[in-house]
Amino acid sequence: MKNIIEVKNLTKTYKQLKAVDNLTFEVHEGEILGLLGPNGSGKTTTINCILSLLKYDAGSISIFGCEMQPNAYDIKKEIGVVFQEVAVFEELNVYDNIDYFCGLYIKDKKLRKTYIKEALELVGLEEFQKFYPKQLSGGLLRRLNIACGIAHKPKLIFLDEPTVAVDPQSRNNILDGIQTLRKKGATIIYTTHYMEEVEMLCDRILILDKGKILASGTNDALKALAHIEEKVSIEVMDLEETYIDKIQKFKNVEEVSYQNNLLFITYKKGNNNVTELIDYLKEEGIHYNKIYSERPTLNDVFLELTGKELRD
Amino acid sequence: MFFHNFKYTFLTLFKNKMLIFWTFAFPILLGTFFQMAFQDIENSETLHTMNIAVVKTDTFENHNIWKETIQNLSEGSDPLFSTVYVNEEEAKKQLEEENIIGYLKLEDTPKIVVKKSGIYQTIFKSVIEEINAQELMLNQMIQNGDFAVDYSTIYQKIEEITKKEAPILNISRANLSYTMIEFYTLIAMAALYGGILGMTAINQVLANMSHNGKRVAVSPVSKGKLVLSSVLASYIVQLIGIALLFIFTIFVLKVDYGTHLALVLLLALTGSLAGLSMGVTIASILKTSENVKTGIIISITMLGCFLSGMMGITMKYIIDKNIPILNKINPASMITDGFYALYYYDTLDRFYFNIVSLLLFAAIMVMISIFYLRRQKYDSI
Repeated sequence: MKNIIEVKNLTKTYKQLKAVDNLTFEVHEGEILGLLGPNGSGKTTTINCILSLLKYDAGSISIFGCEMQPNAYDIKKEIGVVFQEVAVFEELNVYDNIDYFCGLYIKDKKLRKTYIKEALELVGLEEFQKFYPKQLSGGLLRRLNIACGIAHKPKLIFLDEPTVAVDPQSRNNILDGIQTLRKKGATIIYTTHYMEEVEMLCDRILILDKGKILASGTNDALKALAHIEEKVSIEVMDLEETYIDKIQKFKNVEEVSYQNNLLFITYKKGNNNVTELIDYLKEEGIHYNKIYSERPTLNDVFLELTGKELRD
Repeated sequence: MFFHNFKYTFLTLFKNKMLIFWTFAFPILLGTFFQMAFQDIENSETLHTMNIAVVKTDTFENHNIWKETIQNLSEGSDPLFSTVYVNEEEAKKQLEEENIIGYLKLEDTPKIVVKKSGIYQTIFKSVIEEINAQELMLNQMIQNGDFAVDYSTIYQKIEEITKKEAPILNISRANLSYTMIEFYTLIAMAALYGGILGMTAINQVLANMSHNGKRVAVSPVSKGKLVLSSVLASYIVQLIGIALLFIFTIFVLKVDYGTHLALVLLLALTGSLAGLSMGVTIASILKTSENVKTGIIISITMLGCFLSGMMGITMKYIIDKNIPILNKINPASMITDGFYALYYYDTLDRFYFNIVSLLLFAAIMVMISIFYLRRQKYDSI
């Protein structure tokens, strides 16, 4: 598979802090690569280095097979960027904002008009063309932010936490839009600390913490790194210690905890552990209410790798 | 791309209400206020002949240029000076009793003694400086052995200088008024406020200064093209603001800028360039919010205008007397001084000196900006 981006031994320090620590990875053509990590893990710094906005201490970066430089305009014209912060002009309406940023890439006015129309459709802002940013809700503003970054139909798109502080409707719209872009052939780098988005969108994921890659691979491959395969929580009133001890001895059980009338059980293996648990509770005459069973998430992987939650 | 960025920068600047207030509306409001506040003063104030003394020293007695020039300036029906020739003790006494505004003592260099600051004292000082400058020029010509000195020409020149009317115009003309002085500083202020436009425009194309700048920086357009088109757009917006100010003051407030309107405009254009370059420099070197930068530009401009006489002309004289270097590096003073030069002097030397000073100021600002702007990558953003 063709590599669109190749990052080798990238290191970036801010005074004493190593923000990116010897990072090496590739981005394949047509894929969505997720950079997942808590705030301060080095995701945005990595992107800024790739885009030649930041100086870095060591390493090399190539895009489309050429070294990335601030004046590598042939590379830059194929790139679209949606930064974490909303970057639009308050004085321009929705249409003019998109036209301004798109115009930095596309000279032809007619072609630009078509592209703007398509971008507006993609993010669902057709009815808001004449609105000024101040008149838009947070979610709509984020959509405009995306439209400004992708209207020129780039082959490579960087999306840096595009759904932060966005309402569910806009979030769904944004995620749908990203999938559409991928279907049209764009290669996407998507950074977020929302694991659900990464699981839903990304073909491959890099889990970052303190500037280092902790793990990488597909969603399933990463989840396989977790020692658990199932997590069960069940609401039980006043459960005695002896029962907890007995459950702990069940086959495949990794860990049992009981807090605020909620019993948490993690299983090393298997997918049918709930049946065994329910049978036991019935047998012992223990009343229970709601039962939840779930597969391990990337947060569990991150927890296992770092000892902390993704959103810490 | 140049025109595309120019067009949208122009639009965003024009639609920015805060910018338009400071650069368009505020000078007009302030001008209206000046007109109301100083109208009465203007009607009553004209300049009169100044009483001065010259200390009789050997140098003065033996110096034809000085002697005859002072004499010529003290003759006629409406002379510039009414001069008494006394010894130093007497000059001091007369100054103490305020019979004279100041006295001249000529030894190796001319020494002017005044008791207080004021417009008469400044004019006195300017006249003496002018005579001294011309006298030095002649001396230099004589001393320079590289030239075959044509003494007849030199003596002719001496004669011209000493016999012609003072190089300073009749300063009792109506244009010289407190209101006019206020309007000069107002134009200086409006010109320097253009710095806010330059700063805002540049902020929008620098990755380390704004979110928009980050987005623009990753586009395939060179930074030079972006910066130049943004600066040009800001300058055009600024000139529109200056033009509106002139139109308003001339046609609504009935301000008379005299016969040198083209030179007045030239000074305003150059002053605007200096203001713009100051804004670009502040945008380039200070990594802080746009509001803070705006505050800094407004503060620098207001302080500069205050020192050049906006809140009272006395301040300009105080600075001229005590810290002259401050007015030499203060762009507001360069602009106001350029205006004074147009009205006080027959020659345009001092006017052009101020034009060149403003251009030099702008050039230094541009060089500082280039030093910071040429960075393509940043340590942090």
